[in-house]
Amino acid sequence: MRLLSLFLSALCLWVTAAHAGVPDFQRFPATGQRLLLWVASERGRSDPELAAARQLAAQGVEVWSLDPANAYFLPQVPSSMDALPLQDMSAWLRAADASGKRVVVFAVGRAAVPVLRAAALLGRERRSRLCVMLMHPNLYTTAEPLSAPAYLDLGDLSGLRVRVLQPRRSAATPWLSSLTDHLGRLGADASAAILENLREGYWAREAPTDFETAERDRMDAMLLHQLDLWGCE
Amino acid sequence: MKRILAVLAIGLAWIASVGAAGFETRADLPAPELKAHDLRGAPKTLADYRGKVVLLNFWATWCPPCQREMPSLERLRTRMAGRPLEIVAVSSAEAPDDVKAFLAKMKLGFPILLDPDGSNTRRWNVFALPTTFVLDADGRVRHVLTGPAEWDEGEPLAVVEGLLAKPRR
Repeated sequence: MRLLSLFLSALCLWVTAAHAGVPDFQRFPATGQRLLLWVASERGRSDPELAAARQLAAQGVEVWSLDPANAYFLPQVPSSMDALPLQDMSAWLRAADASGKRVVVFAVGRAAVPVLRAAALLGRERRSRLCVMLMHPNLYTTAEPLSAPAYLDLGDLSGLRVRVLQPRRSAATPWLSSLTDHLGRLGADASAAILENLREGYWAREAPTDFETAERDRMDAMLLHQLDLWGCE
Repeated sequence: MKRILAVLAIGLAWIASVGAAGFETRADLPAPELKAHDLRGAPKTLADYRGKVVLLNFWATWCPPCQREMPSLERLRTRMAGRPLEIVAVSSAEAPDDVKAFLAKMKLGFPILLDPDGSNTRRWNVFALPTTFVLDADGRVRHVLTGPAEWDEGEPLAVVEGLLAKPRR
């Protein structure tokens, strides 16, 4: 009976995906009530991210892993993230919502842009059910020395709960409050957490520190810990 | 006539080389305020370097490109000894102990300033590291470079030499 139920759910998801133009993603099924939508950065999905997804699934957290640049055959540059079809992204969020699980989106770098814009396309009620975790998001339109930063207009984010994870060792750290203020002006309930002793993209660095290597291998635990700290349910 | 042409040629070559390095040239831009402390805790502002060309470098110990360009800044300091140039490196949003640990391994002869709360980084609108501002002797920002450079050769050296050759107002 349970197998039949899983088959029907999968069939339903496939049909929904086929109609809505949901992006091609990799699924790590799990029986728990949490569903994590992992959106890789413009640089593509790395092996440590896949390993973390498998580890999360083994702990009962289902993961849908999306590599947007690869899914849409786009170059691995920030501007590619700004060009993703938002209707597809929005349909993907709707499909996740329809699963009945508690949905958390985890987006890295510039991938925060299509995620937030897709969330803005959802109705307020559906948006307020989402939790969005952004790892060192890049929301700049321009960031030039000696000029105040300008951020993208991402649409109406009212009701959306957003948590920014910011590695301490980043040029973006001094600008964290400016970023969360911007999200707040768009209507999001935004907060932030600092990840100490880490650099941006620490899990995929060419020359990681010993600490970064250790943290790379426990990304699953870090994410669960941050979710618990945040308490977005 | 030959002399004028030679000066013009050098000037054109300098302008071309400055563009090629990724320097942004700023026309007479007043510098934001710099309020920092050195490693001994003494307060420092741009007024402390007035009358000199200032190379103000925002960096961090964890930033590999910053680490790579540091030896060239030190070589530039040695090369320019006795000339009115001050190299000042501002550690961006780092704990003083991290900076001191780094400097125990890499000996640098130019002043290092601390910006632990990132307030100078924000005032100067620095969004990437390293970012370097080259100020003329009147304290105005004349060039900006985002990213690392080999400061003791080629275009970066030409930028510094160009400002050193410029008469004060």
